[in-house]
Amino acid sequence: MKKLHKITALILILILTAALLGCSSTDLTVEEERLTIKVIVKMQEPTFWAVVHMGAIAAGKEFNVDIEYDGPTNEKDIDGQISMVRDAIDEGVDALVLAASDYQKLVPVAEEAKAAGMPVIIIDSNLNSEKMDSFIGTDNVDAGRKLGESLIDKVGENCKIAVMSFVKGTATAVQREEGFFDKIKDYPGVQVLAMLYCNSQAAIAQQLTREVVAANPDIDAIVCLNAYGTVGTAYAIAELNKTGEVKIIGFDSTPEEISFMEKDVIQSLVIQNPFNMGYLGVKYALDAINNIKIPKTVNTGSEVIDKDNMYLPENQKLVFPFID
Amino acid sequence: MRRRIKLVLRKAPKAVRRSFRISSIQSIITLSFSAVIILAMIMVGIGLYSSFSENAEGNAASSAQQIMDQATINLENYLKTMMEISDLIRTNMIDSSPENMQNLDDMLSLTLELRADIVTVAIYTGNGNVMLTNPGHDTDSNYSVLQQDWFKQTIDNPEAYLFQPPHVQRLFEGRRPWVVSMCRGLDVEYLGRDETWAAMVDMNFSVIEELCSRVSLGSRGYIYVVDKYGNIIYHPQQQLIYSGLKEESIDEVIEREQGSFVDDFQGERRITTIKNIQYSDWKMVGVSYVDELFENQRDFTSFIIYILIFGIVFVILASIFLSSKISKPIKRLENQMNRVEKGDFDIDNLEVKGEDEVKRLTKAFNLMIARIKQLMNQIISEQEEKRKSEFNALQAQINPHFLYNTLDSIIWMNENQNHQGVSEMTAALARFFRISISKGNEIIDVADEIEHARSYLVIQKIRYKNKFDYTIDVQEQAYKHETLKLVLQPIIENAIYHGINKIQEKGEIKIEVFIQNEQLIFRVSDNGFGIKPERLKEIFESEPTKKRTLGVGLKNVHERIKLTYGSEYGVDIESEIEVGTTVNIRIPLTPTQNGGNDEKTT
Repeated sequence: MKKLHKITALILILILTAALLGCSSTDLTVEEERLTIKVIVKMQEPTFWAVVHMGAIAAGKEFNVDIEYDGPTNEKDIDGQISMVRDAIDEGVDALVLAASDYQKLVPVAEEAKAAGMPVIIIDSNLNSEKMDSFIGTDNVDAGRKLGESLIDKVGENCKIAVMSFVKGTATAVQREEGFFDKIKDYPGVQVLAMLYCNSQAAIAQQLTREVVAANPDIDAIVCLNAYGTVGTAYAIAELNKTGEVKIIGFDSTPEEISFMEKDVIQSLVIQNPFNMGYLGVKYALDAINNIKIPKTVNTGSEVIDKDNMYLPENQKLVFPFID
Repeated sequence: MRRRIKLVLRKAPKAVRRSFRISSIQSIITLSFSAVIILAMIMVGIGLYSSFSENAEGNAASSAQQIMDQATINLENYLKTMMEISDLIRTNMIDSSPENMQNLDDMLSLTLELRADIVTVAIYTGNGNVMLTNPGHDTDSNYSVLQQDWFKQTIDNPEAYLFQPPHVQRLFEGRRPWVVSMCRGLDVEYLGRDETWAAMVDMNFSVIEELCSRVSLGSRGYIYVVDKYGNIIYHPQQQLIYSGLKEESIDEVIEREQGSFVDDFQGERRITTIKNIQYSDWKMVGVSYVDELFENQRDFTSFIIYILIFGIVFVILASIFLSSKISKPIKRLENQMNRVEKGDFDIDNLEVKGEDEVKRLTKAFNLMIARIKQLMNQIISEQEEKRKSEFNALQAQINPHFLYNTLDSIIWMNENQNHQGVSEMTAALARFFRISISKGNEIIDVADEIEHARSYLVIQKIRYKNKFDYTIDVQEQAYKHETLKLVLQPIIENAIYHGINKIQEKGEIKIEVFIQNEQLIFRVSDNGFGIKPERLKEIFESEPTKKRTLGVGLKNVHERIKLTYGSEYGVDIESEIEVGTTVNIRIPLTPTQNGGNDEKTT
């Protein structure tokens, strides 16, 4: 009987050891199951997209997922971005956060990624596809309206202006124009002298501004719909010594634009929230992986800043993103 | 325990109960053993789990505090550096002479070269003019300190160390670094007047950020710094908080003292640890998620569950094994006892083996069986004795009656002067009794038995006045054997009284003795009235009575043979009404001790 008890004890110890080993081995497998979310942006540069990256990293840390960041060196390198998306599919990442550099050309490869079973979240610039899980970005119509509001605030209800758009017919340009004109239609005193397209090149914007100011010496303000247009216009106005005379309502907050605003060349800027795009892109990608319902479109919002409010604590980080 | 188990199991479905006999020792042991151990295991498991989880929160909080202690010291050192520099400026700013200013500038250049984390040192006059900057750059003409709150506060209270939350430095044209500033008033003699100036030490904010982000409170936990008004100095998700995507329990934190507290924040349980930072009114706050800390606990839980499942399965198997081990010898004993129960007492002593208790039980059982067997044998022999004495008594009853009749016949013959008849009959009677007694032996030679029968027939033939004839035919071989005595006489008596006596014509009695099929056969046949078949049946079934009726003698002989030789021997009768009766007495062959040679000579 005593012998039997000894055998019993021995068997029990063996079983416990086996159980222990079983548990520790399952722990190891759990460790390996960290999710990876790939963020592909339009372009790797140290301002706007770097802040998107920061937002993605913040979400990655908060939700305990690995973030891979990629993007072509040039915004116009659409094929480069397509091949990056394809690499991500081959790599088998758990989800894709994409800022589409082209409204049409990225559709097939993004749908391919979707077909491969990974959630695809589009940020900043939308894609012409209904199959994507979500679009997270600035509500450009609303941003356009804010440009209009700021124009009335800084210049007044009766003024002659030019509008510096970027690429005719692109989705964001059309939406910002729509919002802006929707706002100013309430103010009959606002007279639009010219509708200009700088093709997203500062030099062209600078040239166009020179021309429009020369043609219309009584012009009160130029409303710019993107960063390139704003910078080019500001250079032209500073160069023409028309600072304060021809006011600029601009878009985005590159260091050059900030510098111009501090010198009163630019009166106000409508800024976006790239940090939130990166953060929410990752957050919703993770939700989609976990089959949590996510909204089809998310507006990350836009703010109007001017020289007076840009140094407020809540705006400082938006205007001067600090990048390691 | 047993009763409780029974109670529980009574409620179990009948089918289960039928398949598992609850009242058996094995099932009781299995169930109680399993129940007790499983209960104990579950209690230990729960105990371990609860003590573990109680400790876990406390441990987490204290480890968070330890981690943060180090971070706080680092941050304090960082602030102290700024204070030391401001002290240095304050003590060296004796006057505003150009030489002194140059010395100060040189000293600051050296300090800044040594301390990479100091971005700028600037000295402003009371009017807000820049007196000195190191390193020197083009100052931004658009920027005036006069309107800034910190400048006013510094001038108003020059002794205090005033820390400014992280902000964008606007001092220089085109340079917008993130800095943390410390401002200090300076007492300066300027152009012969006492003035209060301000010194500003700007340190690279990324140092604070690096310092805080380096601290790890689990993979999701983080550290942030707020001032006493709830302004965020540093927060990893500052942007999210400003844009309303995130909330932080800052209001609660600024009301609390140092220490830790656990709360549910936006559906997540987290441990918040607060540390005051010396030299400033800042607080460092550590946030760690209980959920994450308890990932270990989840592992522990599943570990405990694994062990419990393993343990329970094992305990059940072990208890089944153990109980069968215990109950097996009892079952074996039970099986053997079943045989006894069915009447088989011939099992000689059960094998005494197994556990002590079972051994004792087996021994006791063996003892009991032996005693029962002994008692049974005793009863059997007593019964036999009793019956033998009954038969003897019966036999004794026959003889006086017969003797009386015979003596009556002798007297009658004597009166009729039949002397030969008298002597013949008296001699026969003498022989008859001699053999009847035969020194008290029950077993006699066949020759004696024949002689006994013959003597009886002689007497009866005289008494019945030659109403019958008889023949005795004995196989030579038969003489060499022994027989139970007085088996023939009752049969012959029966043949005379109930066979020959009832017919008018002369009777014939034929006695044959022979060996057949290894048996000694005495055959008595008569041509008497015969026995009715229904009467024939009764002969061997009826109880022996004192009343002298047909078959009493016959049955007597049958019983005696069976008692002596065994049940396969005895008497059988064939009879036909008005034809006659044949009675066969079958006994085993028992040769005489002296080979039967004496018989021939007698």
